[in-house]
Amino acid sequence: MKLSIYSLKKVLFQGEARLLNCKTIMGEITVLDNHETFIGVLTAGIIKVVEANPSTSSGPREHFFPVKSGFLEVKPNNEVRCIVEQ
Amino acid sequence: MESPQNIKKRLKSVNNIGQITKAMELVSATKMRKSQQIALDSRPYAFAALDFLATISSLEDQKLPPLFEDRRNPPAGGIKKVLFVLVSSDKGLAGAFNSSVFKKFEKHIKEDKKHENEEKVFAAVGEKAYNYLLKKFSTVDQSTVLRKFVEAGDYTTPEQVRPLFDFLIKGYLNKDFDRVIIVSTHFRSALKQEPHVRRVLPIDYSHIADTIKQIIPERGKFADLIKEHNITFTLDKNKLKEYTIEPEPEKVLEKLAEHLFFMQIYHLILEANASEHSARRMAMKTASDNASDLGNKLNLQYNKSRQARITTEISEISAGAEALS
Repeated sequence: MKLSIYSLKKVLFQGEARLLNCKTIMGEITVLDNHETFIGVLTAGIIKVVEANPSTSSGPREHFFPVKSGFLEVKPNNEVRCIVEQ
Repeated sequence: MESPQNIKKRLKSVNNIGQITKAMELVSATKMRKSQQIALDSRPYAFAALDFLATISSLEDQKLPPLFEDRRNPPAGGIKKVLFVLVSSDKGLAGAFNSSVFKKFEKHIKEDKKHENEEKVFAAVGEKAYNYLLKKFSTVDQSTVLRKFVEAGDYTTPEQVRPLFDFLIKGYLNKDFDRVIIVSTHFRSALKQEPHVRRVLPIDYSHIADTIKQIIPERGKFADLIKEHNITFTLDKNKLKEYTIEPEPEKVLEKLAEHLFFMQIYHLILEANASEHSARRMAMKTASDNASDLGNKLNLQYNKSRQARITTEISEISAGAEALS
């Protein structure tokens, strides 16, 4: 899926991702490919992103972003967007 | 004619001042570029947030969160108090930067006859605005609330704007004030800055959209970027019904309103910063130009007076030699 994560300071992540895991007000959720359309509010926690293409021999790269709050939007056409505050 | 020693002394001090102003000019230029860069980096976030707002607000006719509420209408009690926030710098030597903000503010108050009966309270961002408000208002009316926020200065991070934001939100929701107006400087280009009066609370979609468009200066290094994006507020409503929204749209909208408002305040401060630095750069450029002009003149004067002295000395010697022979 196409994932972009924006913060006020910079673009944290942009590109193809396999998995997104984050904490919302209603609980922790994981977004995979072709998730249904969804809008949620993020709470303080860590966003975990696993990239789609395994670029290294040790498997796909993982990213972790600590956030204070934010929003998650899963759009049609396999697009996911987060705006977060760190 | 002045003695060469005196002129030399003056020449030295003028050169020193020239060097200092030159250095300040360079420092300000760097800082200005940095502020602009920071403002630009927050742009994708701004666009995404606006887009998000459009998505949610087009869902259905829900109740607007309190930050959007216009209290002009009778059920809300009408507008009693207005908060003015003046954004200036902490330090001087920035040309007309601060005074133009104050002038605009005075003009706004004078011309605004419609809202004359509303009580006015004030807050200052920057040491200069605080001193100005203190001088102008607190001697007349001690009850005027004054809060100051300083060191929003050089490299503004979102955290530095947080106290101001909290103060505004808390006061507004407490009904300490019913409208918030910010007087700050709008960065049009590196050479041109204008003071603007903006209403920031209650929140208005179009006001926020305007602010975001202004993130990019009209001319200069980053001006071309403006063509990239077009914000639209129209969305396909049928598609949106399929969205799962957690928890409720109203709650999401409420949170989003806060985020957007924070972003707007953050941006206003950034813009004021960029303006401050470019105003200072211009002032310092003029000052160092003047210093080098003055230096040239003094140098000429010094050479002339030295020449004159040598001439008199030679004529004295030759006169003495003639008298001896």
